[in-house]
Amino acid sequence: MTVKTAMDPFTVEVIKRALVSAAEQMFAALGRTAKSSVIYEVLDYGVAITDAQGRFIAQANGIPPFIGVLGDAVRDVVKKFGKEGLEEGDVIIINDPYMGGATHQNDVVLVMPIFYQGKLIMFAANKAHWNDIGGMEPGSWTPSATEVYQEGIIFPAVKLYQRGEENQAVVDIIASNSRIPDMTLGDMRAQAASLQVAARRVIQICDKYGLETVLQAVEIYLEQGRQEALAQLKKLPKGTFTAEEYIDDDGLGGDPVLVKVKVTITDEEFVIDYTGTAKTCKGPINTPLSALLSTAKFAYKAVVGPHADTNEGFFSPLKVIVPEDCVFNPKHPAPVSTYWESDSYAGDVVWKALAEAVPDRITAGHFLSVCGTIVSGIDDRTGEWFFSVEPNAGGWGAGKGKDGENGLVCSGDGETYVLSIEVAETRYPIIVDQYALNTADGGHGQWRGGFGLIKDYRITNSKAYVTASFGRNKFPPWGLAGGHPGTPNEVEIRTADGKVEKKGRFSNRELKRGDVVRFITGMGGGYGDPKRRDPQAVLEDVLDGYITPEVARRVYGVAIVGDPPRIDEAETRKLRGD
Amino acid sequence: MANRVAVDIGGTFTDFVSLDERTGEIVLEKALTTPHNFAEGVINAIEKSGVDPRGFAQFVHGTTVVINALTERKGAKVALITTQGFRDVLEIQRANRPDMYNLFYQKPKPFVPRRYRFEVRERVNFQGEVLQPLVEEDVVAAVEACKAAGIEAIAVCYIHAYANPAHERRTREIIEELLPGVPVTLSHEITQEWREYERTNTTVLNAYVQPAATLYLSTLDRELSAKGVRGVKYAMQSNGGTTTFSQAQRLPIHLVESGPVGGVIGAGVIARTLGEDSVIAFDMGGTTAKVSLMDRGQVKINTDYHIEKTTTFAGWPLKIPVVDIVEVGAGGGSIAWIDAGGALHVGPRSAGADPGPACYGLGGTEPTVTDANLVTGRLNPDYFLGGRMKLDLARAERAIKKIADPFGLSVLDAALGIIRLANANMRAALERVSIERGYDPRDFALVAYGGAGGLHGATLARDLRMKKVIIPRAPGQFSAWGMLMTNLRHDFIRTHVMPCREEELQEISRVFTGLKADAERQFQEEGFPIERVWMELFLDLRYKGQEHTVRTPVPQEALEDGRLHLVIEKFHELHEKAYSFRLEDPVEIVNFHLVGWGEVEKPELKPIDPAGRDIKRAFKGERRVYFEELGMIPSEVYERDLIPPGEPIQGPAIIEEPACTTVVCPDQQVVVDELGYLVITEVER
Repeated sequence: MTVKTAMDPFTVEVIKRALVSAAEQMFAALGRTAKSSVIYEVLDYGVAITDAQGRFIAQANGIPPFIGVLGDAVRDVVKKFGKEGLEEGDVIIINDPYMGGATHQNDVVLVMPIFYQGKLIMFAANKAHWNDIGGMEPGSWTPSATEVYQEGIIFPAVKLYQRGEENQAVVDIIASNSRIPDMTLGDMRAQAASLQVAARRVIQICDKYGLETVLQAVEIYLEQGRQEALAQLKKLPKGTFTAEEYIDDDGLGGDPVLVKVKVTITDEEFVIDYTGTAKTCKGPINTPLSALLSTAKFAYKAVVGPHADTNEGFFSPLKVIVPEDCVFNPKHPAPVSTYWESDSYAGDVVWKALAEAVPDRITAGHFLSVCGTIVSGIDDRTGEWFFSVEPNAGGWGAGKGKDGENGLVCSGDGETYVLSIEVAETRYPIIVDQYALNTADGGHGQWRGGFGLIKDYRITNSKAYVTASFGRNKFPPWGLAGGHPGTPNEVEIRTADGKVEKKGRFSNRELKRGDVVRFITGMGGGYGDPKRRDPQAVLEDVLDGYITPEVARRVYGVAIVGDPPRIDEAETRKLRGD
Repeated sequence: MANRVAVDIGGTFTDFVSLDERTGEIVLEKALTTPHNFAEGVINAIEKSGVDPRGFAQFVHGTTVVINALTERKGAKVALITTQGFRDVLEIQRANRPDMYNLFYQKPKPFVPRRYRFEVRERVNFQGEVLQPLVEEDVVAAVEACKAAGIEAIAVCYIHAYANPAHERRTREIIEELLPGVPVTLSHEITQEWREYERTNTTVLNAYVQPAATLYLSTLDRELSAKGVRGVKYAMQSNGGTTTFSQAQRLPIHLVESGPVGGVIGAGVIARTLGEDSVIAFDMGGTTAKVSLMDRGQVKINTDYHIEKTTTFAGWPLKIPVVDIVEVGAGGGSIAWIDAGGALHVGPRSAGADPGPACYGLGGTEPTVTDANLVTGRLNPDYFLGGRMKLDLARAERAIKKIADPFGLSVLDAALGIIRLANANMRAALERVSIERGYDPRDFALVAYGGAGGLHGATLARDLRMKKVIIPRAPGQFSAWGMLMTNLRHDFIRTHVMPCREEELQEISRVFTGLKADAERQFQEEGFPIERVWMELFLDLRYKGQEHTVRTPVPQEALEDGRLHLVIEKFHELHEKAYSFRLEDPVEIVNFHLVGWGEVEKPELKPIDPAGRDIKRAFKGERRVYFEELGMIPSEVYERDLIPPGEPIQGPAIIEEPACTTVVCPDQQVVVDELGYLVITEVER
């Protein structure tokens, strides 16, 4: 092998490491200094360093759909102000979902130009979830918005800092629009300070190696990213692959929403075309274009190189086509604040299209929805409000040679931890009656889908409210190569007087002492014909109580008899027609 | 004759250090580690040393038996007994996806399969109130099932057991009655911090390693006694303190990081003697480099340790106090390679000790960091292990050519490149423990040890503008030496969430009094004289509504009336340092933490004898060494043990000793101080 570079490869690599660690230091600094737990605990934030054109060089993020999103923000900043309109010490604030880098308004982007010897050389940027930026309901995001104005204040790329000075007018407007101004301004300043951390490190790197060398190293590094992607593309099957799926409804209880994709892979390109996907929805499940593009990057990376270094070069073979006025490219001023309800499908449908063709990278469909829940109320013991806000884990799909994972957060979450029940019971007036695998009948296959979870919260307060948004309630996760589909996500309310109500979504539903809310997440899809599953694995599943002997016989064609249970081989051969 | 002795089992060698209490004489020895029976390597090392075991006044042992049983999955067949509704906690875990772009991610597999996880009816709430009394028939049924399945160890972990352990205790009685001889681990005896998954997993892993650890420690105990060892035998724990062999057999999981912490403690000790109390310990061996930061003499301990956790794997949590060590895959054996996109990498794959670097001539052909150190003139081919092993320069060059040729580089440039890349990885680890946690590396001294620490320490310290570099004596066996400097330590941590305010003083004192009683009982059980026990108190505090806590020291007088504000003020200050802001919000207690120390008499550090040391005799000649800034330049070479104290040597220089080599960069100088340490500083120009 011969590698062509204009400069010594070790210097390239050392500079690259230094830039990556500058991004990691910005990530750590923001996590360490933010005031809101949604940032430092849920890691709902991301950071990036880009070159002067907005191509991202290094990044770090806690959740995958933030990959590569900040480059778009930088490009819009450059477009709006021009390079000559930016000065040392400026910080620009953006959260307009109809601009680059945005997801929903809660995710606020800050961008800072980095100057070296008077020349704009790079940008530092970050994006973090602010707990409240105004809007019609506390927390700003809401399943009931019908236009973007109800979802919080909008920053259309304005200078928050000018030459290092805080812009008092903007800060005052933020403070007046947030229900929790101290928290919000605290997070904002943590974000701004962490940009400085990255800028200082970049300047140090330039001091040590010289600006020319650094910029040259960046070019080489981006080119390496592109070469890596092209090398991986060569190994993928070529052709056009299609799939479609349905989202349960438009967010306001309307009809199912169609998602369509056509993926075309050649030696040079990876094209994702969403033409045919439903139009802009009335409810706030629309995904802003910028968020869609970054989810497409996530889908692409999972297929092309899940462990490859992440930079703009790696994504250069990716082309994304989205029609105008589409749920993935909504028409202003459509609401977007629960965009993850559709956004996750943008990735899932790509994987569904390619799953059979790329069986070593893609697993069958998973429970997909964040399954976010809020349990709230006024605690009888203290007279104070409590809010338990959390995602739920569920079942992942099986892949070739691998059973699905049991209880893992969805694709839209990453380094996201589920809440400990001992912590939950200490903080909130609830008792958890069970936290268990959901061994429902589904997801069967030669390799079995993973199990979702069942969690029972029994209310010990006089009154409480539950909000839950469980997607994939009507359309379960897809099976692969003859594997069975998984099972749906669902919320059950079992009142103390014995009534049971089951739905995918509850909004501020009142509960009384003794009522139980049961959160059920689905199984992932199976892979391959269950009759081809290794009988020994079927026996193990029975021993572990994952499946019953009846299912073993009916679905897997394996006869399990006796105590301790064992395989009746003759009967199994008969059942399987071998 | 009385000697203090430490034996530390490493991946390749078992290190022996003996210190004569009277003369201060140090004896060093090594023997090959014997994984089939670690005790054999320990006994071999003792025998080789020639030090009479009957004279061991104290024996401290760092052992890999626990971490080995875990990583090689050679532990016991374990069952778990837990609260009804929660047997799957061990499998659900925290559900995070660190390898977030990989759809094929596999989460950690539980150490107990579902069929051996038994549920019983019982329940207490977070305040310890019984909501459901223990149904003993359920326990009986679980134990019968364990018996039928041939279970070798049982873990018991009930929800909120830290708030009320009565059900766990009763469960043990039933098990011991029905299944005598099968070891039982109760969760509350290991950890009293909340979070059910972490607690359950810790309990299970203790049960998992217990039979192996017990067998090992009792065998070693017997063999040492047979050799005439009469002194007390201690095992090194992950919390930076020691414990007796008998206690270690009960809670062996505390030995998980038994080896590496010795060096961290040792680094703190020698830095203090040099008037430096803020240091970063840097231990570079064959496969990895480990770094740990000490702020004002305090070793950092936390309880969110994981085994096998990486950036792409969640690992298994252990909720026990462990010295905070960051490890990266950069050691002498780390291999350099080129990826599909044409980018270069060093590590984490390692040639280890077998076949080892190409220059060992034992069959290795991949280019390693050690090969690069040889090619660039840093290592002396004729003086490796004091000349006992000859390094093969031609093989090293051939291996590095694999990296050089594709880029059209000279072998020499490629070799320097490998060193620079390995340094970049280690620098990242140093930044992680300092800059990313709010510390400025310029305020710290670097204590470099391990077989390769001296080769890289000076360059790293310069890059981060650290104050100085200290290379201890016998850097290769420094972890064992550090173990001689440790005290007994037991941590008692208890989650009890409550407001931190003056009105609660009585309750706060009550909880601490309970922990003190636990600690005293512990030392008494170990037969340790109580007058040599002292205690440190801490509270893990946070602002109400926040998640993260700050471990805040509690001076004794703060528990007197009207003085709790001392703690609260300290918390504000520490919080601001760690997180950059303070709030007006009420302060809340999450954990009570008591550290019980058993003071062990420690050897006095004696100055080296200057007699026979002479700079002219120490000077071994010049050799050309390749440095990043200046290229190939002549560098003076010295024999460490002949350098007189106090005479500075200007870099570039190479200081050789039989087991280690220290590189001093251009514009640095090195001094052998009166205790025999090498101290490297930048020369002002």
